[in-house]
Amino acid sequence: MSAADTTTTTPTTPTTPSVTRPRRGRGLIRRVIAAVGVDNLSLVLALVLLVVVIGNLSPLLGISGGQFFWSWQNLMNSLAQSIVIVGLLAIGETVVIVAGALDISVGSIASVASVFSAIIVTQGVLGSFGAGSMQLAILAGIAAGVFCGVINGLIVTILKVNPIIATLGTLAAFDGLAFLIAPEGKPIGVVTQPEFTWLGTGRFLQDLPIPDLGGRPWPGVPVIFVVLIIVAVVMHVVMRYTEFGRSIYAIGGNATAARLAGINLRNVRITMYLISGAIAGLAGVLLTARVTSGNPINGRSLELQAITAVFLGGAATTGGRGTIVGTFLAVLLVGVLTNGMNLLGVGAFYQRVALGILLVGAVAVAQYRQARAERARTRIAAA
Amino acid sequence: MTKSFPNVLALRDVSIDVHPGEILALMGENGAGKSTLLKILSGDYQPDGGTVTRDGESLVFAAPREARQAGIRVIYQEPEIIPGIDVAENIYAGELPMRGPFVDRVRLDALVAEDLRRYGFEGVLPTNLMGDMLSSAQRQLVEIMRALKSGVRVLALDEPTSSLTDEEVERLFTLVRRLRDEGVAIIYVSHRINEILRLADRVAVMRDGKLVAARAASELTQGEIVRLMVGRELTDVFRRRPAVQDRVVLRAEGIRSDWHKGVDFEIHAGEVVGFAGLVGAGRTELAKVIFGELPRTAGKISVDGREASITSPTSAIRAGIGLAPEDRKREGLVLIRSVIENASLAILARLTRFGFVQRRLERRIGAEYVERLAVKTPSLDQEVGKLSGGNQQKVVLARWLAAKPKVLILDEPTRGIDVGAKAEIYRLIDELANDGLGIMFISSELPEILGMSDRIYVMQNGRITGELQGGEGVTEEQVLGLAMVDHLAMTAEQAKAAMEAEGQL
Repeated sequence: MSAADTTTTTPTTPTTPSVTRPRRGRGLIRRVIAAVGVDNLSLVLALVLLVVVIGNLSPLLGISGGQFFWSWQNLMNSLAQSIVIVGLLAIGETVVIVAGALDISVGSIASVASVFSAIIVTQGVLGSFGAGSMQLAILAGIAAGVFCGVINGLIVTILKVNPIIATLGTLAAFDGLAFLIAPEGKPIGVVTQPEFTWLGTGRFLQDLPIPDLGGRPWPGVPVIFVVLIIVAVVMHVVMRYTEFGRSIYAIGGNATAARLAGINLRNVRITMYLISGAIAGLAGVLLTARVTSGNPINGRSLELQAITAVFLGGAATTGGRGTIVGTFLAVLLVGVLTNGMNLLGVGAFYQRVALGILLVGAVAVAQYRQARAERARTRIAAA
Repeated sequence: MTKSFPNVLALRDVSIDVHPGEILALMGENGAGKSTLLKILSGDYQPDGGTVTRDGESLVFAAPREARQAGIRVIYQEPEIIPGIDVAENIYAGELPMRGPFVDRVRLDALVAEDLRRYGFEGVLPTNLMGDMLSSAQRQLVEIMRALKSGVRVLALDEPTSSLTDEEVERLFTLVRRLRDEGVAIIYVSHRINEILRLADRVAVMRDGKLVAARAASELTQGEIVRLMVGRELTDVFRRRPAVQDRVVLRAEGIRSDWHKGVDFEIHAGEVVGFAGLVGAGRTELAKVIFGELPRTAGKISVDGREASITSPTSAIRAGIGLAPEDRKREGLVLIRSVIENASLAILARLTRFGFVQRRLERRIGAEYVERLAVKTPSLDQEVGKLSGGNQQKVVLARWLAAKPKVLILDEPTRGIDVGAKAEIYRLIDELANDGLGIMFISSELPEILGMSDRIYVMQNGRITGELQGGEGVTEEQVLGLAMVDHLAMTAEQAKAAMEAEGQL
């Protein structure tokens, strides 16, 4: 709409572009929208709609369960914790998908990191140094993720294997690796490591004087949810304001043009798989802490949920489009939908069908809108 | 017959006839309208006016299939060959002999063997070779066999020899003559005058979408054909005032690659050096080899007197070279990103402190160049894909000006942009050269090469075939003559000898 206006009213005399913002007024609303991103507005809308339906309408419709939605118990325990792992994987995946590639191996990387961090936290390194240390376990998990990510990056850049096939291969290979490094392929229990399991059970800000909600007292913010928020903010900044982030968008938008402008595609691609791997590694550590076990199957099939969220969040399969904010909103949307369906007593099989419909429907709508915008553009060009 | 495209009238009222048992050569500069004419014949384009008549019957083709059914077939340089199946199946694709649900392999092989024997190609085209293993010549043969099998009446060949070896050319000529003798009407498009004079019965020359002459080949000489191809009225193209300095900013010595057989050239500071040549001469490839995008197998590149080790675009940029590629949408711009992001792409590393892009600095520099080039855009944040062609080209130029190179390679910088924007680009090139930049100016439009260049290199077949000083003295005939010198085929003497041997003189 606004694009059409500005294009058609472009002055015919050679003018300097207006470097200042074209429109003023309604500053606050505009700034909020700008921060969220215009493309993400429909996600916000869907989210609000969903919350209203689940939280308020279920009694009217005669379905019970919805009234529990607005309770601290539900929001801070069920919802906030359930989205963390997929949320992290989806954030790493966003970087890869915006660059026009794909990383299917993130679930397996999380499994490797889960087992490895459990080994380190129970046995330590070099004898028993650092056993029980949370920091060392986190480092170990991330290091395992970086290792796997760099392998992905090298396969794609040096061996020039298509990213889908490359990570399809490492999906299997890393899955096997997780079993190989676990003693006898069995899960490693970490219940005996209270410092470490605090990651999964701990809470911040428990003392804040926040009133009860839904008859439940304020439980504090789960540690893992804080981790998710920190990673999301950092990656948002990386994607928007750094040379690396710019390169990712340029490569995804047009790899040839990016290369001819001097961007080193190989370095950027290796770095992007490294980042995706590191975040998946962190997710693996949190998984271990949450389920108190370093299990080689911890990360299985999580990549599907992560990739789903990225596309739901508005990323293009062809690359060049997609934001961390969009992905985060999509993760939240899926989380609320799942949570709501649980509360309303919808069966697990129905839930999966619903999620599938949501993804396909959302992308179909996005395609339709893009095609319409495209047509509008050619009309302008022809005029 | 008339065909117009948005902004451009590609064909204006062209009438051309070709008789059974005749080889008609179709010649003309790049963009003269030859390809458009062929595409109308093949049914790819529909004419805006005019008709195609065959044997007195007026034909309208809504699709290529209908043209084929009418017995008209156009063979392009790179025909569509299905890679995963063999020659026999490729020739009979769509009409395979069947036995029940299965392909009748025995009958197919017999049919193909018979076809090949009839035209003398048994040894040249092994029928069990897979489509993706074929050479260019073999691919064309497959396409010709397809055409013959379906009873072709009119056969058009578009630059068939440009990727063939001498021996393959001879074989093709033999085939073409045999088809002529069987009564097929042949339209033969080529840039190689020697070939044309040997092969064609009649020569039609096109220029600027019009037919300027159609005469018997025996009445024409090489020089006359060139004159007919060029002879346009002198339009008032930009003429630049030279500001050439002594300092050499780019020197290339002995450049060899898959496309080039030892190319030497140099560009001075403040000099606009035109690179002329016909399509396929290797100019775009030369630009990319110099820029490190395509590999070079030998040769030395020096920038500003120092030898530069160029292995990638990144290292070329570091050495002080910039390249605005020929296809700006596919190779120049990230269309879905903003003007400012595209403009700053080549200087991203320079704008970065501690990993972060300094956005204020970026916008200041971006705004400066966008303003200097008078890019018409509502804001720096506008998606580049939404700008007009001329303004997109200016964004590419802004990117390279911001990078402050010593040499700027411009590959067809005015392609696909309107007259007004062209004039602005000329003015800009002039200004940049006067500021001391060395400019490698590749263009297929002779008037702009002549108007803009201080010096001109003419290329053909991966070689520089001539060097001309710019200025009023140079004519389009001179440039075109060099562009068609034709090392690969033969010298004038050899051609004459060959023609005598064939009993044509």
